[in-house]
Amino acid sequence: MSNVRMDKNDHATIQAVLAGDKEAYGTLVVRHSQTLFRVAFRITGNEADADDVVQEAFLRGYRKLEGFESRANFGTWIYRIAIHCALDRVRHRRGDETSRVGESNDPELDQLQVADQAAGPERLVLSGEIGAIQQAALSSLTATERTAFVLRHMEDCTTAEIGAALGIEPNAAKQAVFRAVQKLRRRLAPLRVAT
Amino acid sequence: MHLTEEEMMEQVYGESENTTAVERHLAACRECANSFSELQRDLAALNRVEAPTRDIGYGERVWASIAPLLPVYRTEKRPWWTAGLWKGLAYAAACALLVACAFYAGRVWEQKKQPPVAHIQPASPQVKQPIVVVVLDDHLDRSERFLVELKHADMDSAAMVSPMGDEARSLLAANRVARKDAAQENDPDLTTALDHLDRLLAEAANEPGGLNGATIAKLQDEMNADGVLFEVRVLRSRIAHRNGDGNIPSKGGTI
Repeated sequence: MSNVRMDKNDHATIQAVLAGDKEAYGTLVVRHSQTLFRVAFRITGNEADADDVVQEAFLRGYRKLEGFESRANFGTWIYRIAIHCALDRVRHRRGDETSRVGESNDPELDQLQVADQAAGPERLVLSGEIGAIQQAALSSLTATERTAFVLRHMEDCTTAEIGAALGIEPNAAKQAVFRAVQKLRRRLAPLRVAT
Repeated sequence: MHLTEEEMMEQVYGESENTTAVERHLAACRECANSFSELQRDLAALNRVEAPTRDIGYGERVWASIAPLLPVYRTEKRPWWTAGLWKGLAYAAACALLVACAFYAGRVWEQKKQPPVAHIQPASPQVKQPIVVVVLDDHLDRSERFLVELKHADMDSAAMVSPMGDEARSLLAANRVARKDAAQENDPDLTTALDHLDRLLAEAANEPGGLNGATIAKLQDEMNADGVLFEVRVLRSRIAHRNGDGNIPSKGGTI
């Protein structure tokens, strides 16, 4: 119900923006910034990049606003734009990277161990560092695999939605998620300690 | 037959096409059940990656940073009547242009279809004749009807007699035109018959006291003496024969 009302509000705001009320777009920015930041961070794995992605997504959205179909949901629309921006950023960044997790022979990484579900308290103290390790493991994926995995695993998108967001077939999206999971498990396998 | 890693992953994400069969297999196969548990554990561990929180003013800051970069959509707003006027003028101009184009196209098409002026032959008498015949036939038809009415007119009925004067005047004018045409075409039979008819109609039309019993009787005598009704019928028959139609409907009565 609230989503429907928000959707109506979004549409009214968009009409106002297209009629010349630029400031009205600020309402949409405030309303959707948190969601965009969350997905941008999960895809890029970097706060600064995520902030840039949010700004870039809203800028692109504003420029394309005339082409926005009134039947669509603005939240979903701008969310997809943010995914594309984040994907572009990851791909761009990949070009500059010279090393990846698992290829760096980082001794600290090799010593860290992922806490097992049945792990004791002494192992849980490492949990703060585990996030960083997993983030590094995510960085080992291709941009498409990482994005597909994030959308499936953390954003609870269906493979159809992932395909639509990435502009690929649902089956290709499913395969991208599958490859990502395989790679992540391989990366994290040495860190896992059996109870 | 064990489950593949892909099938297990679909099961974890709730996208398996055959959930019941997978669950049944996991319950029966210890090896697959262990693999499935490991997969669940690994994926659950990956849930630890959480986005940092952003405070409530985050959206405002994002807006402040991008607002100066955004142009305004359609800054100028025209009054409704101005917009309506321009729209109306545009429609009117479009319509006028369409009409002008259609007119010009029509003219061009007409000129192309029209044969050169030098090839036009003057209208021959044969071309004009059918029109005269039709008019003459109509005139003779009316005249015959008038003569039949005159022949059977009730001399004591003023209601029947009075309209005949008006009809006679109308027929007299038409008869003079027909007689002139007949004279030009050098048709003595037609001219003679129309002369007889003219005389009778002139008397009926110009009777000083109007038509009454006495004048009707006099006209009937003249009509019978000249055989006007017979002549008219013969002429009509001749015209019908010329037109290829031998049937002449009788207007009633006999001579």
